[in-house]
Amino acid sequence: MILKLLPAGMALAAASLFSQQQAANPKALELFESGVRPVLKASCLGCHNQKLRSSGLGLESREELVTGGNRGTAIKPGDPAASILLHAIEQKGDLKMPPGGKLKDEQIAAIRQWVELGAPWPADAVAKKRPGQDHWAFQAPKRLEPLAVKDASWVRNPIDRFILARLEKEGVKPSPEADRETQLRRVTLDLTGLPPTPKELQDFLADKTSKAYESAVDRLLASPHYGERWGRHWLDIARYADSDGYTIDAPRQMWKYRDWVINALNRDLPYDQFVIEQIAGDLLPNATTDQLIATGFHRNTPSNFEGGIDFEQYRVEAVADRVATTGAAFLGLTLGCARCHDHKYDPISQREFYQIFAYYNNTDEIATEAERYDFHRPVLELATPEELAKREAYRSQIAMLSRELATYVRTLAAKPAKEGDTPAYQDAGLKERVANLRTIRRREPAITTTLIMRELEKPREAYIHLGGEFTRHGAPVSPAVPTVLSSKPIGGSRLDLAKWLVDPSNPLTSRVTVNRMWQSFFGQGLVDTENDFGVMGAKPSHPELLDWLATEFIARNWSQKSVHRLIVTSAAYRQSSHHRPELEERDPYNKLIAKQIRMRLEAEILRDSALVASGLLAPVVGGPSVYPPIPDGAMAVTQVKREWPTGIGPDRYRRGVYTFFYRSAPHPSLALFDAPDATSTCTKRVRSNSPLQALTVLNDEAYIEFARATAKRIMKEAPANEAQRLDYAFLIALGRKPRPVERERLSRFLAVQRDEYLSDPTSASLMVIKEQVFDSSPGGAMEAEQSVDPKQIPELAAWTATARVLFNLDDFMTRE
Amino acid sequence: MSFENIDDFEDKALQAVTRRHFFSRCGVGVGQVALASLMADGMLSGAPATNSSTEPKKPHFPGRVKNVIYLHMCGAPSQFELFDYKPALQKYDGQVAPESLLKGKRFAFMDTFTKAPPKMLGTRREFKRYGKGGIHVSELLPNIGSVMDDIALVSGISTDNFNHGPAKCFINTGSIRFGRPSIGAWVSYGIGSESQDLPGFVVLQSGPRGPRGGAALWSSGFLPSAYQGIPFRSGGDPILDLSSPKGVTERTQQQTLETVRDLNLAKLAETGDPEINTRISAYEMAYRMQTSGPELIDFSKESRKTLEMYGAEPGKATYANNCLLARRLVERGVRFVQLYHADWDHHADLTQPLDQVCREIDRPTAALIRDLKERGLLDSTLIVWGGEFGRTPMGESRESKKIGRNHHIDAYTMFMAGGGIQGGQVVGGTDDLGFSPTENIHVHDIQATILHKLGLDHTKLTFKFQGRQFRLTDVKGQPIAKLVA
Repeated sequence: MILKLLPAGMALAAASLFSQQQAANPKALELFESGVRPVLKASCLGCHNQKLRSSGLGLESREELVTGGNRGTAIKPGDPAASILLHAIEQKGDLKMPPGGKLKDEQIAAIRQWVELGAPWPADAVAKKRPGQDHWAFQAPKRLEPLAVKDASWVRNPIDRFILARLEKEGVKPSPEADRETQLRRVTLDLTGLPPTPKELQDFLADKTSKAYESAVDRLLASPHYGERWGRHWLDIARYADSDGYTIDAPRQMWKYRDWVINALNRDLPYDQFVIEQIAGDLLPNATTDQLIATGFHRNTPSNFEGGIDFEQYRVEAVADRVATTGAAFLGLTLGCARCHDHKYDPISQREFYQIFAYYNNTDEIATEAERYDFHRPVLELATPEELAKREAYRSQIAMLSRELATYVRTLAAKPAKEGDTPAYQDAGLKERVANLRTIRRREPAITTTLIMRELEKPREAYIHLGGEFTRHGAPVSPAVPTVLSSKPIGGSRLDLAKWLVDPSNPLTSRVTVNRMWQSFFGQGLVDTENDFGVMGAKPSHPELLDWLATEFIARNWSQKSVHRLIVTSAAYRQSSHHRPELEERDPYNKLIAKQIRMRLEAEILRDSALVASGLLAPVVGGPSVYPPIPDGAMAVTQVKREWPTGIGPDRYRRGVYTFFYRSAPHPSLALFDAPDATSTCTKRVRSNSPLQALTVLNDEAYIEFARATAKRIMKEAPANEAQRLDYAFLIALGRKPRPVERERLSRFLAVQRDEYLSDPTSASLMVIKEQVFDSSPGGAMEAEQSVDPKQIPELAAWTATARVLFNLDDFMTRE
Repeated sequence: MSFENIDDFEDKALQAVTRRHFFSRCGVGVGQVALASLMADGMLSGAPATNSSTEPKKPHFPGRVKNVIYLHMCGAPSQFELFDYKPALQKYDGQVAPESLLKGKRFAFMDTFTKAPPKMLGTRREFKRYGKGGIHVSELLPNIGSVMDDIALVSGISTDNFNHGPAKCFINTGSIRFGRPSIGAWVSYGIGSESQDLPGFVVLQSGPRGPRGGAALWSSGFLPSAYQGIPFRSGGDPILDLSSPKGVTERTQQQTLETVRDLNLAKLAETGDPEINTRISAYEMAYRMQTSGPELIDFSKESRKTLEMYGAEPGKATYANNCLLARRLVERGVRFVQLYHADWDHHADLTQPLDQVCREIDRPTAALIRDLKERGLLDSTLIVWGGEFGRTPMGESRESKKIGRNHHIDAYTMFMAGGGIQGGQVVGGTDDLGFSPTENIHVHDIQATILHKLGLDHTKLTFKFQGRQFRLTDVKGQPIAKLVA
């Protein structure tokens, strides 16, 4: 009976407790009832109960006392002298209990005697089930076959059966399918983060076969831009940035990790392997360079290198962040809540937080001031042959200069000194040589590197940190995963943790992952609280579908592409996103999925879309981060002045995922459009809508540059009549033809603009020709700009204004 | 054709009216006209449902103030070092806190209290009496002391949660759960804003980091997103991209905005997505900010005396600059300005870190009150100062030889000034040890009071959501009599 109530992992310990109790003498039990239990109840249980468990210690069962709290075991049966509980109540040391008073001497004596007698406890009060243990998310997914529906003709794949069964039950009809243009734009944006090109749209509309849509999906899944799109989702979770964070926020090299993510998605690395390599790639047998790079995942934590800090504090901070990230990203649990105390709602104790902490506690990172010279450690060098050659040349140059200097010093020293001579140390030649050497020394050519994980040979001791503070060590802990999630103990290495996360028996990881996929495709997950599957989290709107997808994901060998394909080819996904007034009251959040939803494009994707429309996009995949133009004053906010060497040539026009990210000063348009700040994991972006966003797209230098290029493209590629040009403008910006009312309105806008720019040639040329700032730059972009036929300028200015209108439309900013 | 009216208006009337005026009339109102004419042409069907106008609306009753400047001190300032003068606490300094005080109480960071029984901590700061009311204020805030006759301390406030994020959420939205509308959003929803050239609810931030809780603290929750707080940038230019690109003439910019609006209205009619309404408002606001923004953030016309009074240094990300900017915002009719200043979370040390943050806020806060008064604006502006909760009368010892205070949610101090509030008084109070309040004043009462000053009845300012009428104060709260009399 008792054994059944305990999680299986604890059965052995419980059995031994049980056998001890058999031997308990009745007198000792009587003493417990008369002299111990009443005291515990009156003076201790106010704080040390199941719910509060102050300092991680419960005093409601013998087992809790023996296991102890954050300071370790509370009693050692038979040995009062080794029992912290006795120390505490006798108040001879630091720990004085109960707070603000002392038990009576006879009470203390009774407890002492009871411990001496082996601390027996009657069977009635043995550990109860932990609250929350029955919670749905902690049980293995139950795979039901897709539900029966009345209107089977709507169903395109099993997902639809789950959606439609619910709709039919509620008496709600699904929305009609979106028009084809919308479907292509939606799925292209969702899978690659880029809008379709006119050619892609044309091909799609011309494909009259029944599998036209599926073919387009397959084409998109095979595109290298798929990895950029889905890589960016993952980089939000990975809190990826190109700088250290905190106040110094120096640049760091991390882009190899970013490229690893993009590449892993493009080659559809199975998700279990994807996770294992990132958490513990370094511990795999014969780890490859790629697998080492992957461990950058947990090196994306911010690092503080301010003067006067305690490095151990920030190391602990980073390790705690890794635990919290593991919770949010894989388990959908707010593990971070258990850092300072037991989780308030979920069955995760503070001890268990530090048991996971123990897995991450053994990496070879800077922990003391003496190591400051090597603060990014461990770093993987990935020098290209060119970089190595450059460094070699540099080093020999330094060697040569040093030799020269030495020779010069010797000559100087050999000269006989006379009264009135300049002292040798002020010799002009010497000063020049020293200065020269110093300057060059500072210019050591950069070698490509990336931050990785490396395990210490001897593990660090891990403790419960009392109150979550790094200095206050409580009881020592060993690596383990929360008992509520695992019935059997797992090994103690980071690799064991990684494997456990993606073990098919883990009830959370696959659910949490497919739920996030759903969130990307429908604006919200089946579980709305995508990072909290715990007791306080939302209930799934379609539990059977969630479990079906979770098991299907594993059955499909954790192939992300395969599940993406499944979702985007469902009828549910292909519905229209139009508002349905009749559902406004009934289903304001579209929980029933009776339609698709309109979502404002993410920060990077908005700009990427403008790059595609303008034809400027430099579709290079991967490489060091780049510096597109930034508004004046944007970099004025950092504590240490940071350079922003604005790109020239193609680097101005790379996708947003490649924009250099300073944590303390993210590119303003990224921040304004809700890109995460990379200080901690982000599993869902906000979609705000503000006047400051409007100012960006209206006035930012970047967007005028895009508009200019778009205008040129329209003039060049579309037939020379206004109607066809307008059609083309719509096609490249919005992936569809204008409706009559739109064509009419833009046509009138154009007429006024022509008028305006014919009468104001100065503004017309400013509109059309890039400022002289980039005149001297190498690269061809500038020259092409200069070669505008002067007669064309007013027309081009009017079209630039028109392209600008298109970029500012809700339509352009929204994925329908 | 459907747009002729607008064009006529543009071409003819434009010369007669200023751009600002034009656009303030050409806001959602004219937008709706355009939409109506589009619909009359039979080109579109289905009307938008949500009205999210920020135009001024009538309050429930005549308000005492027009604007609010809410100075939120992130991290919970210690009332014992600033305002809550407790000679008795001095007397018991160093003694173990009586068990009766702590029994059944929960604190954040319980461990520091269970490690060793907490001891009472008398303040190490000197207090002086200020103003006609002879109100005690600490040596840390001499400038605020000097304007005490305009300030009413509210003492013994209680709140519901002792963690920063949830408690901040609570005082801003009335709930510890994220996702409810913030007080500034409720006010914008209730009475709109006098300013059509600037957002009605502006958020300014200073200090080493943003407030815990972030954008949820000024979110519009389930209200239309047009009512959300608009955070200005905390360093450099508060607003970027305020001027039209070179080559974009004023006429082109106007035409662009109108065309965008018209096409967005068409999209709204087609899809029915209320978010498009918000975008339309956002664009109109953006356009008007182009005129009003540069002037707003340009401190060059401020006198040297004013700059010195605040300690403002143009271009810096400081609380002082934000106070001056707050005055400029309310001068321009912005309804609700909220400043966040970090970081007051003094668990471990009440000496130098507290000195510093007090230095940062003392002079600018006092200057703001004085400046508003000199300009005749204090009467129509309510200033609210305070954190999300207070700190314990017991000390907390985290590092040796240093002492701080833990979170305490039963009896903390805020202050209010302006809007006819009788200065030089203490409303409410705490017991001798400052542990418990002597009157019941809850954060919901503070919220009800702020709304009341603006002419809003907190029980009537509601919004139906998921079948229930929600309000800022949930089912509690009442305006504090002495502050609304």
